[in-house]
Amino acid sequence: MRDHKTIICRCEEVSLEDLVRTAESYRCSSRELKLRTRAGMGQCGGRTCRALVDSITQKCTNDSTPHDIPLGYQAPIRPITFSIMGEKKDE
Amino acid sequence: MDSRNTEVLIIGGGVIGAAIAYYTAKSGMEVTVIDKGDIASGTSSRCDGNILAIDKEPGFDSQMSLESQKLVDQLSKELDLDFEYRAPGSILVCESEDEMIAAESWVERQKKAGLSFKMLDRNDIKQESPYFADDLLGGLECETDSTINPYLFTYSLFHGATKYGAKVMLRCEVEGMSRDSVTGLFKVNTPKGEIIAKKVVNAGGIWAPYIGNMLGLDIPIKPRKGHIIVASRDMPVGMRKVMEFGYLMSKFGKERTVDEETDKYGVALVFEPTESQNFLIGSSRQFVGFDTRVDMDVVNCIARRTIRFYPKIADFIIIRTYSGLRPWTPDHLPIVSPVEEIPNYYIAAGHEGDGISLAAITGKLMTELLQDQINTIIPTDPIRYSRFKNVSTIQT
Repeated sequence: MRDHKTIICRCEEVSLEDLVRTAESYRCSSRELKLRTRAGMGQCGGRTCRALVDSITQKCTNDSTPHDIPLGYQAPIRPITFSIMGEKKDE
Repeated sequence: MDSRNTEVLIIGGGVIGAAIAYYTAKSGMEVTVIDKGDIASGTSSRCDGNILAIDKEPGFDSQMSLESQKLVDQLSKELDLDFEYRAPGSILVCESEDEMIAAESWVERQKKAGLSFKMLDRNDIKQESPYFADDLLGGLECETDSTINPYLFTYSLFHGATKYGAKVMLRCEVEGMSRDSVTGLFKVNTPKGEIIAKKVVNAGGIWAPYIGNMLGLDIPIKPRKGHIIVASRDMPVGMRKVMEFGYLMSKFGKERTVDEETDKYGVALVFEPTESQNFLIGSSRQFVGFDTRVDMDVVNCIARRTIRFYPKIADFIIIRTYSGLRPWTPDHLPIVSPVEEIPNYYIAAGHEGDGISLAAITGKLMTELLQDQINTIIPTDPIRYSRFKNVSTIQT
């Protein structure tokens, strides 16, 4: 797996190379890595790449930054439509 | 423990702290910024991103936004890191004759204050987006309004500030603060050591009262919660920011003719296309303390409000939701001001939902205040801390 063109976040098409470069230059938390690259911000809500993004942060920063701000989980668990979200409870 | 000295200590690494750090460092002052978490880890990453005049009270309030828009346009050219800046204008849409009448007077007053506003009719609204409900009567437009990505803007300002020598210390919470009555220097205790500062700027946002309390100040800021939905843009819904006219009523706490739940949660439609091809949908306003958990009843209500204005996006996909806390003040204006009773202590907080809009002008003005300049970029009276002196109890 030396090929840095490997896509880590499929939804937002973020490559391993992008993630490693960003993590190395900013030595930041996973959350900041996510916001700077958009990895994990697409349609699947990070279900595919969350663990990979976390491990890239740890590898690239040699644990020099505390990872007390992990990637969050935001509702809904799976994408749903406005009409389902907006349904009245008594309907 | 380490001890370090700094000329200016900014407490808060949100967009306000970032803008102050940038302009003060650029002006040649020695600046240190501390934050208890990460850069933009509070309100500045739980919001949408606009520099709006359209929703500001005509006069001082909207002028302040207009000045900020000019500064952000300059920043988009002088900062190295891109922050998705564009200036397509923004619109308000009306759902009743009453709102149309109120909109006309809003436009007249803004034009008198020198801003580029105009009315839109039913046809204009149809041209704006084919997804709008057929019964919308019209609306109004502010031509100069611009849009940015709020956390990228914050990152970019800090990147610029550090190039001018600013120091940024993260995960560095203020644990205590005192002022030496002989030297006038501030001593700030943090987990990373003691910081001695000549001047302190409290840019703590919703936490500004907590920081202020360490020196006995009573800063009237309260968290006002808001929710946002991130939706996937299957088809282009619209090219620029849209709000319902009722948003103004909700923002300024005026009466609206909506159902009970919409009123209770302060729900008003806001639509914002982002550069990532998604779009953001808001909004809500609630006083529920420091709770940042997403309330699905509120999201449910926002989704219904969305379908009322955009019936044809009912089958569009919601990807995620989030909520943030706006630093509210009793008169809806921020505090950007020295504190008379504590020489060399300044406050830059309380921007409610206008922190992104007013960050640049706040940074610029605070730099002028720190340098004791008499001629400032905007008048300082309406945003002075001392205006709250005679307010004994703060009503929400």
